[in-house]
Amino acid sequence: MASNNLIIGLEIGTSKICVVVGESRPDGTVKILGVGQTPSRGIRKGEIVDFETAMKCVHEAVIDAEQKSDVMIRSVYVAVAGSHLQSFNNRGCVMLPEDRDEIDEQDVEDVRISAREVSLPAQNAFLHSVIHHYHVDGQDGVLNPIGMLGQKLEADFHIIHGVRTRIQNTIRCVKELPLDVEDVVFSGFASAQVVLTQQQKEVGALMIDIGGGTTDYILYAEGAVKQSGCLAIGGDHITNDISMGLRIPMARAEKLKTDEGSCILGNCLPGEMISLKDDSGFAGKEIERETLNTIIHFRLRETFELLKRRLDEEPFIGYLGGGIFITGGCSLLSGIDHLAEEIFDMPAHVAHAQTASGVTSAVENPQFSTAIGLIKYAQAVQTDRPRRGIRGIFGKIFAGRR
Amino acid sequence: MIQLSKNYSLPDSASEFIPIKILSVGGAGLNALDRIVLDGLERADVVAINTDVQSLASSVAPHKVQLGRSMTRGLGAGGDPELGYQAAVESADEIREALADARMIFICAGLGGGTGSGAAPYIAQLAREAGALVVAFATLPFSFEGKRRNTQAREALARFNEVTNAVICFENDKMGDIVPPQAGIHQAFAVADSTISQSVRSIVNLIQRPGLIHIGFDDLLAALRSRNGRCLFGFGESDSDNRAHEALTQALKNPLMDRGRMLEEAGRVLVQVAGGPGMTLSEVEILMQELGRHVSEQTQILFGAAVDGRLGDRLAVTIISSLTADEDLIPQSRDSGTVSNAPAKLPVWEQPHEISPKIEIEPEPTLMEVSEPADMIPFEEPTPVGTAPPPAVEPVLSKPEPIVSMPHKTPVIEEKPSAEKSVQAKQETLQFEPVTRGRFEKSEPTIVEGEDLDVPTYLRKNVKVK
Repeated sequence: MASNNLIIGLEIGTSKICVVVGESRPDGTVKILGVGQTPSRGIRKGEIVDFETAMKCVHEAVIDAEQKSDVMIRSVYVAVAGSHLQSFNNRGCVMLPEDRDEIDEQDVEDVRISAREVSLPAQNAFLHSVIHHYHVDGQDGVLNPIGMLGQKLEADFHIIHGVRTRIQNTIRCVKELPLDVEDVVFSGFASAQVVLTQQQKEVGALMIDIGGGTTDYILYAEGAVKQSGCLAIGGDHITNDISMGLRIPMARAEKLKTDEGSCILGNCLPGEMISLKDDSGFAGKEIERETLNTIIHFRLRETFELLKRRLDEEPFIGYLGGGIFITGGCSLLSGIDHLAEEIFDMPAHVAHAQTASGVTSAVENPQFSTAIGLIKYAQAVQTDRPRRGIRGIFGKIFAGRR
Repeated sequence: MIQLSKNYSLPDSASEFIPIKILSVGGAGLNALDRIVLDGLERADVVAINTDVQSLASSVAPHKVQLGRSMTRGLGAGGDPELGYQAAVESADEIREALADARMIFICAGLGGGTGSGAAPYIAQLAREAGALVVAFATLPFSFEGKRRNTQAREALARFNEVTNAVICFENDKMGDIVPPQAGIHQAFAVADSTISQSVRSIVNLIQRPGLIHIGFDDLLAALRSRNGRCLFGFGESDSDNRAHEALTQALKNPLMDRGRMLEEAGRVLVQVAGGPGMTLSEVEILMQELGRHVSEQTQILFGAAVDGRLGDRLAVTIISSLTADEDLIPQSRDSGTVSNAPAKLPVWEQPHEISPKIEIEPEPTLMEVSEPADMIPFEEPTPVGTAPPPAVEPVLSKPEPIVSMPHKTPVIEEKPSAEKSVQAKQETLQFEPVTRGRFEKSEPTIVEGEDLDVPTYLRKNVKVK
């Protein structure tokens, strides 16, 4: 069956649920066959708050994707977000037995397990452990230690974990449809797979994915994840601020934000007004453009400053040769890159998925970074699998435990 | 121990405090007391009381009283409440001496055994005679400890209900629920002890800690007053970013709280929020809003807030309430309440003078004496009215509240005064101006660095928008 190399990414976002059907090609590229999406309900800040409604929405999105791409969807990769996700770096260490000094796959697996042996809060579960580098007998920066000679193998891992039950909620929502869940992926990690190129990861880059309900960030340096996390602030907050500040309904505020919003201050004529057309249940209104921009500006500025404070705790922020890449629905706000540049004091770009072909109109929208990233992630994991068969087994065990 | 000696060297500040004594009676009581002392308790004296010399000797309490020197000869009461009672009677003088000068007395006892069930209620009675307010912390045995012990415990509980101002009752079975199944039995008991310790300490703190919005003993009694109901108690502390939310969650997780489900039925809930100088209004507000979801609209919330430098970054929440009539706990107390009330009662009436400063109503002690012993208010009431001047009538009603004695009729009458009374104390329930969170009203608040980020940024930064 040709569906062997079909990969489906599902992102249950706060503003929309999006299913991307992709085809992984042997040369490492991804072809997008179709994208299904529905506006989501029952989801706040990246997490499900109304199970039934959310499930219906996911179902609609899946059907939409099936129709557009003409495939049957059976299993999906799911992105998770939410403020409960946390990360830290940890080093694992194994000593080789006396009679052997060649490092083999089992040792690499052992060192990964030893790196995971840290005390998480009882209710938390591992989501990812991403390798930075190996150290063999004190030699730094080893990328692949298998076959090397040494006595002591150490590895630095970046570990992402979250509250088990909250991750389970998302999984259950998909399983009840019923669809199989191949894997759960931190949404920021998924986005980074397509937003950042390998080169950018090498020189160091910060990716900020500002979605509807959450802002995910992930920082790469020397080709490895150094820092990641999720902040429960997103486009919804901007919309809410506008709605309250200008006293207009949420739907209006949302439209105003996407059509007219900007986060640059002092860039419009004094007294420039935007007129909102009247509608049933809403008398027309004139709004000063500067007011709108002020509200957006302060929210985004605060979000960036908060991120900066978090990242400042780590020493990597100084080493970013690639700069900042902003993606997610909110990155469409005009001027957001300038604001980020001002706050982080380094170049910032609005970016979308880079490495895919097919329905490119979908690819070129930063809103879909995460869902497409899931496919890229899956592709990377699947090509890995034959080589590291044992990891697949462990993956299953952990998946079972989640 | 070191902490204790420190306490004693605080005479000047102590003068502002209400003198509190904590008496622990019986083996289980001593265990709990040790926990309390080891956890560190300031602003209260502790006294260990037991028949068993051995356990007394190993207690860390600085002040000890041995019961029934000649009767039990330093051995325990052997699980016989009658023996425990006799022993306490024999040592009555020593007990009186031990509890002198205290305005408020907490009695910790594990019910079911000899000393705990027999002596503790008698001691409570002596304490009332000495004119103190008495709150009992009682544990009911695990159900696996046998039926006999359970019956003894319930009888003792009924006695307690008669003689004390309030009983906070811990069911060991409930505590067992929060201990992981594979944990050893000692751990289950340890959890019980530390829960008691926590509640004693938080109540002491509640009363002793100078508050922005102070909670007095009157509020505490109001919250606890319900017909020998079951006490709901929760305490939580957190120092994380989202500490308001976490402290509350923790408080609701308390075994006596049933995850907040029971709060819905409570008529009055006392909440105290304490924190270091860094505690923000928005945190308190979030907390109260969240708590609001667990209580019904009719519930009266007695709110207190305190700033205590010693808490540092921590924020502590104490929730106290009680449910009316729980079938499990009352049956005996109902019967015995009416029968055995009288003897226990008389002494009680002195205590209103003691707290009267707080209550602000002119005490009419005479009245009380008359009306009380009888229990049957309808008949007695006319008499008191005769003796008392007209203004007395109303106060009469509000007066009895400290007496949580549970004759069926009195509580009904008491109910109203309490409401009235809390109306008087109105300044204690503080209404915050609601800060809007709009769309995120029902979701978990995003709190970072002490700020509620769901509130629009321009509002928090005071940016003017038209």
